[in-house]
Amino acid sequence: MTSALGQGFVLLGLIAAGFGTAFGYIAGVRRSAAGLRLTRRLALLFAVAMVGACAVMWYALLSHDFSVSYVAQVGSLATPLHITIFSLWSSLEGSILFWGLILGLYIAAAAIFQRRGHEDYLAYTLATLLGIGAFFTFLIASVADPFAPTPPPVPVDGPGPNPLLQNHLLMAVHPPMLYLGYVGMSVPFAMAVAALLRGQLGATWLRPMRRWLLVPTSFLTAGIMLGGWWSYEVLGWGGYWAWDPVENASFLPWLTGIAALHSGVVQQRRGTLKAWTVILIMITFLLTILGTFLTRSGVVNSVHSFTQSPIGPVFLGFLALCAAAVVVLLALRIDTLVSEPSNERLVSREGAFLLNNLLFVSLMFTVLVGTIYPIVAESLRGVKVSVGEPYFNRMAVPLFAGLLMLMGVGPALPWGGSDPKLVRRALLRPLPAAAVGLALALLFGGRSAPVLIVSAFAGFALWVTADQGLRPVRARRRREGGKGPLASLLVAPDRLGAYVVHFGVVVTFVAIAVSSTFQREAEATLRAGETLRLGGYEMTFRGAELVQEPHLDRHQAEVEVSSNGRSRGVLYPSLNIYPNQREPIGTPAVRTTAGHDLYLTLMNVGGDGSIGLRAIRTPLVAWIWIGVVIMVAGTALCLIPTAAERRAAAADTVPDLAPSPAGGGR
Amino acid sequence: MNRKVLLIGLGICLPVLLVLGFGFRHDPQIVESPLIGQPAPSFRLADLDGNIVDLEELRGTPVVINFWATYCVPCWVEHPLLMEGARRWQGDIHFLGVIFQDDPNLIAQFNAENGTWGPSLIDEGGRVAIAYGVYGPPETFFIDRDGTIVDKAIGAVTPEQLLDVANRLLASPAEATG
Repeated sequence: MTSALGQGFVLLGLIAAGFGTAFGYIAGVRRSAAGLRLTRRLALLFAVAMVGACAVMWYALLSHDFSVSYVAQVGSLATPLHITIFSLWSSLEGSILFWGLILGLYIAAAAIFQRRGHEDYLAYTLATLLGIGAFFTFLIASVADPFAPTPPPVPVDGPGPNPLLQNHLLMAVHPPMLYLGYVGMSVPFAMAVAALLRGQLGATWLRPMRRWLLVPTSFLTAGIMLGGWWSYEVLGWGGYWAWDPVENASFLPWLTGIAALHSGVVQQRRGTLKAWTVILIMITFLLTILGTFLTRSGVVNSVHSFTQSPIGPVFLGFLALCAAAVVVLLALRIDTLVSEPSNERLVSREGAFLLNNLLFVSLMFTVLVGTIYPIVAESLRGVKVSVGEPYFNRMAVPLFAGLLMLMGVGPALPWGGSDPKLVRRALLRPLPAAAVGLALALLFGGRSAPVLIVSAFAGFALWVTADQGLRPVRARRRREGGKGPLASLLVAPDRLGAYVVHFGVVVTFVAIAVSSTFQREAEATLRAGETLRLGGYEMTFRGAELVQEPHLDRHQAEVEVSSNGRSRGVLYPSLNIYPNQREPIGTPAVRTTAGHDLYLTLMNVGGDGSIGLRAIRTPLVAWIWIGVVIMVAGTALCLIPTAAERRAAAADTVPDLAPSPAGGGR
Repeated sequence: MNRKVLLIGLGICLPVLLVLGFGFRHDPQIVESPLIGQPAPSFRLADLDGNIVDLEELRGTPVVINFWATYCVPCWVEHPLLMEGARRWQGDIHFLGVIFQDDPNLIAQFNAENGTWGPSLIDEGGRVAIAYGVYGPPETFFIDRDGTIVDKAIGAVTPEQLLDVANRLLASPAEATG
């Protein structure tokens, strides 16, 4: 019964998406207002169907209805309530269903919020989105059907979700954030398709597109950070990023998404780079599909990968179809997107943006090659290789350092780069800040080149960021007029937001450089009462106990931490044993301060009551997360409408309402 | 039609797609056993009742060796299949279970509840598992009449796989030397 209801909703979604795609394209070609209205209704119907399907699955999970195969696969009577709720996305079929839900919500949002101001493109945009929706509902209805009835006999209990997903609450938020990022990239992609089909790319395209690109990029940022944080808090190896194929998969669209955001700025200011922005958006979308494919097909080995399943080939087919469509569409229509003529110099704001794009795309290719090289090697030579951290670090760190430098140099340069004297002055003024950064690094014992370079670049970038970000305040003060400084900042919240994001990036970069350079660790086998010393800390093992919980047994060690003769509390690193797993899973205990983290992992528990304890002291780790929070906050600022937009909205004037001639550019 | 864009696009997308397509031919989680085609490492182990089983003495009859444990879900899954196989090929193929890092008492309890398909051998210190390069339970090794490992399964054995290997094992006659 539940199965049939869920499958009914999925089928409804498939029908709505299929017809919506067809009607949308027809309405787009004919510029039919009635057709657009119908497409919008079908888009909303698709969203309703997806919400319905997920609601049914949640109901089945919560009522432990093991006659639904997905519930039999991930459900368990012993699993706590909140984990049962998250188990919707803990396994392959459910995660695709959840994907459908998010896509449905995005499509509904696009249909509602882009009702006005984007009419020229909206029919094509929705048609493309619904096409993607049709694929996902097709997947859910066929090879990845979570609602399939369990073959009899229906079990009375299930194994419960993957224990790694039960270990930490971050698992509740990390996947949804990533999905919101991945799926959200469909919207700018659909807009890019619409722009190509329309053969024009004007302000009513660019402004909404940047916003729809900003939102998923921000979700991806948060999702990637939460993944790193989860890995740090749960996996017990003391790190947060391992260049794992699936981490890379989320990183790839993030890189190109950010590149597209920046090229969009140039497009807005100078009317150039139109085709390039469209290409970047399309690559971003393809990379999200590639990432999903890598995660779900089982072709790469990763902590994240789901088991091999028939979904892989189908997904690869979809990726091939999308890639073919993108390439053909670009080849056919790209010449219709005419950019304004440009004759800029390299040493200008535009030049910095170009270089920024170049670096982001190089980074993307570097990471892409490292990620799929193991598959190449295995296909061609039959050998198993894994591309490890040394490759990525050697390749990516210089590119990131370049980006950090550009973050300082770029915004300092004037648009057009006209006067060499102005350019020189703009670049010389932040130099003292770079010197301060360098001096601070030396003072704190930084001797390695990467740390020194990052510190100097960071100082430079911080100065420029603050200078540029606060410019409206100074302008206002000079004119001595009207509103306070805060209000003057909010005249152009997107501009302020951009610099807040840059500030967060600098914080995160510095924290990553410092934390990866100055990590120290110690390891020992301790009996009760014995002490391990590391970096001023004394960690005394008080004893271990076995805690039995309904769904796991936990060996928990009590470790008293003190430094400088003062107690710093007690940490409880533990090893969790799940009844149906091969190996115990450790949960580290972390003491976080503003300056550093003390990170304890329980390596093993001996029969004689001794423990293997590993302690890692890493400086500035907390600032990695704080930097990302700043980035996300900055993005939120960018989403506040600017004063000009607010005025336009109040007057209810919508520019570009009338269809403009094809091939018109802007 | 902008040919440059078309060619560059295809030039980037096609190789990536081809590589990914090839990726399906291999399961990255499988670690190929270098033991296939090699003589099976011999062992003498006691089962739960203290009876000694010597692999050498079984020469002349195909053997299926399954490394398993009560804590592994795929082991439960394949248990009925192994029961069925041991019944069908009784006398023609020996089915041996080797306990992989598990408590013999739990194994005895499991066997009492679910039945047995062969002796459950106690592998003290996991020496036999190490000799066979077992990564984790369940792994199943198929050994022909001459004592050569002809195939290996990782994870629960499927009915098709068992039938296929069993037919191969039974088809090959023992060499005259045996």
